[in-house]
Amino acid sequence: MRILISGFGTVGQGFAEVMILRKDFFKERYGEEVTIVCAMDSSSYVSDQSGLSPNELLKRKLETGKVGTQGYQDPVKVMDSVEYDLLIEVSPTDIKTGGAGLKNIRHALESGKDVITVNKGPLALKFCELIAIARKNNCKFRFEGSVGGAMPIINLCRESLVGENIYSIRGILNGTCNFILSKMDNGQSFEQALKEAQQMGYAEADPANDIEGYDSACKVVILANSIFKRNVSFSDVSITGITSITSEAISLAASHNMVIRLIGEMSGDKLEVAPRLVPKGHPLSITGTLNAAQVVTDLAGPITISGKGAGRTETASAILSDLVSIMDDRKERGGKCQNL
Amino acid sequence: MMVNAQLYVKDLPGRLVESLEPISLVNGNIVGVVHDREQIVNQRICIDVTFEIKGTPELDQLKDIWKKKDVLIAKIGSVYKTFTMEYMLVGKFKASFVESVIDEASTMMTFECVDVTFSSQNASSTRTAMISAELISESDLKKFDAFLMDTCKKSGIVYIRGL
Repeated sequence: MRILISGFGTVGQGFAEVMILRKDFFKERYGEEVTIVCAMDSSSYVSDQSGLSPNELLKRKLETGKVGTQGYQDPVKVMDSVEYDLLIEVSPTDIKTGGAGLKNIRHALESGKDVITVNKGPLALKFCELIAIARKNNCKFRFEGSVGGAMPIINLCRESLVGENIYSIRGILNGTCNFILSKMDNGQSFEQALKEAQQMGYAEADPANDIEGYDSACKVVILANSIFKRNVSFSDVSITGITSITSEAISLAASHNMVIRLIGEMSGDKLEVAPRLVPKGHPLSITGTLNAAQVVTDLAGPITISGKGAGRTETASAILSDLVSIMDDRKERGGKCQNL
Repeated sequence: MMVNAQLYVKDLPGRLVESLEPISLVNGNIVGVVHDREQIVNQRICIDVTFEIKGTPELDQLKDIWKKKDVLIAKIGSVYKTFTMEYMLVGKFKASFVESVIDEASTMMTFECVDVTFSSQNASSTRTAMISAELISESDLKKFDAFLMDTCKKSGIVYIRGL
């Protein structure tokens, strides 16, 4: 299996580390090595058909700030210059246009390559189009890490719960907001809690994407399209962020034995991100940066999962699970897989 | 129909079972029983029982049996399922705003009860109200939900609802 990594930031580097940790695993399970034949970041790339050392890639990125030795203008030209089987697209999310990620995914699928991504932008904007291209070209397209990081919500619903009627999913899909609201539970103001989140690296310098609910809304779209087979995009989601949540609101909720959490909810006819009152002790009343989701099904009833919603290794673990799934499928079929 | 009854029986061994057995005799289904030994009136203890029963003829039959067995019926009535939801409003509004919203909603849907709590802020700053609404049907709850959301949106008030 030859891999092309597009994006070598936190998640890309996390995946390279996981490749080092799981080198023997692939050899034992599939009798073949998984090699990185090309790695790109925003301004450079490096390729070698015989395989690149993940250690070398990490070392160069750390020392020079770049993963590659050569510059490039057009990522598509780089992709066309390399023979690879699978694209791992982990470049930064651009929710307005889909950015380079959308271009790269589209090109890889059109070229008949399998794709794994955690990039929410292309999925929130062009989900159905990308699925259609993947189907047309008989490619596998997986994106477990795009929602909930290490929390396996998509694969749980699409594989383990495949025989169930899923009525709804609601969950905490943004760890930054949950961190801020948890801090407010302990008496901090919104501004203080946000500042602490920024100092700890949970929130960006411009936190709008998280606190206005946009990040959660992207995940709602991905879940709605992939699990409820809807054809919706970011603009279809009703979004309310947490910027209006006051300390008084938190205190009043606490006096009624409740907490306020930013909940993403989707079903056959609902797409919403909004702060909600959650009873203390409820599975969705979790604190800190954790993500959690409750899936309501007809036979199994409610099923709740939680896990780390972000982080280098955690998100890389979701990519690993997608990679294993694709390789299992190839092994079973003795070649290319048929389904998405 | 679902029925709740408060019964008083003599504080003697076997009287609890004796008072509950007739419910099964009329094909009733006991949903819950509270045997309150601390509530003793005239040497009788209180039994609060909730049960499902087919209809009024069966209930009348049950009452006759209880009478013959010296089981006193202190209170009896049908109970029904209600639907509760908590809402929080955050913004610049007066207490009278919430009252008028509830009053208007009452003309469109049936409330079992409404409880409103306010944060202790002065009128000039942001106020927070917690509304616990109990309605008699799921459709009424949905109507109230939509009405409250719409009203808050029009008034620029942040609306947060329960799960």
